[in-house]
Amino acid sequence: MTRCTRFEDEGLALLEAGRELDEHFAVCADCRAARAAYERLGQALAAAGAELAPPPGWTARVWARLDERRERRRRGWLLAPAAALAAAALAAVLWVVPSRPPPAGLRLEVAVESASGRRGLEAQPGDRLVLRAAAGGRPHAELRVYRNDRELVLRCAGEPPCRRRGDTLEAVVELAAPGAYQSLLLAADAPLPPPAGTLDDDAGAALDAGADVAMGDEVDVR
Amino acid sequence: MATADETLAISDPERRALAALDRADPRAALAVLMEAYGTPLYRFCRQLVGDDALAEDVLQMTFVQAHDGLPRFARRSSLSTWLFGIARHRCLDALKAARRRRARFQLVADPPEAPDGGAAADERLAARSLRGALRRCLDKLAPAVRTAVLLRFQEDLSYPEMALVCGARPPALQARVARALPALRRCLESEGVRP
Repeated sequence: MTRCTRFEDEGLALLEAGRELDEHFAVCADCRAARAAYERLGQALAAAGAELAPPPGWTARVWARLDERRERRRRGWLLAPAAALAAAALAAVLWVVPSRPPPAGLRLEVAVESASGRRGLEAQPGDRLVLRAAAGGRPHAELRVYRNDRELVLRCAGEPPCRRRGDTLEAVVELAAPGAYQSLLLAADAPLPPPAGTLDDDAGAALDAGADVAMGDEVDVR
Repeated sequence: MATADETLAISDPERRALAALDRADPRAALAVLMEAYGTPLYRFCRQLVGDDALAEDVLQMTFVQAHDGLPRFARRSSLSTWLFGIARHRCLDALKAARRRRARFQLVADPPEAPDGGAAADERLAARSLRGALRRCLDKLAPAVRTAVLLRFQEDLSYPEMALVCGARPPALQARVARALPALRRCLESEGVRP
């Protein structure tokens, strides 16, 4: 005989939404047992971490941090005239001997295009993830998107569905299945290592190879 | 003799902190807030970032940032909700940084147990087993989901309060929690623990 799963399927959501449960949940033995189990789980969650407390002296360290910062700012003000002179001198040197400006930093912007009008970083299957990145002047750059940190759902470096124009790399990817979608921008002066595993493995391999890595906001698809 | 208002103000950290702000004394307000909310914020951060030292660093940064923001606190939420919002951002920043260092979601050993003369040894063992399994299972949730579960069950925040902390709508958070609970239950059962 199959077990009734209505409490897990519907009852939990109804309770979290503050709505009443219908008669079924009062008479169904499976649902009553499931409800009791989730009440115990809630109690266990409430008690979890009760033993955790910040280490002694932490408030003193906050005050020390604030005082140290205030002192640094005060010194900064005192040294401001000298710093301005130094900056002027440096500017003069750079004007005489112009050098190549440092490459701009990496940037990765994440947005969701939703037919349902949802906003923010929550989406539903069928919505589209729009990525726009600046590669910081690096010749080798890739956009990657991982679902649940494990499944690589997008990898491109300029070919469709990516498009590279100068330093800008753009991509649109359909969010086909529920899950947490994490976007990465990898950029380097040398070719990037190919993806081989999870988000952590691949980001780590890229960092080990001397690449820069930028992470976008995570998008939750439900 | 203290008036009723003054007595109430002393008993309520929010009111005491707001009174300090009214006196343009953010340091006094910060002292009240650290005393009242330091432990719950640390607990929240510790379970989000999974590391003692990182959790303390995030806690310190939270209060340093709060000190800067207190003079402009708009009073559209409680101070505790505002603090949890700051802490959540700092925790997520720390997690992203840790991810970049490939040290994300590292499980740390359970802290040493305090002797408990009242409980039988097998009960203590069962509690420790449940606690350890629950910590591992919480750790497997995505940070956004874990945040919602912790705020809902440990900090006892309402969904409108959670919405202010998380920047998400209450129905989305309700669904997030309702989806997380079966995942937690299955995870616990896979560890041989029945809630």
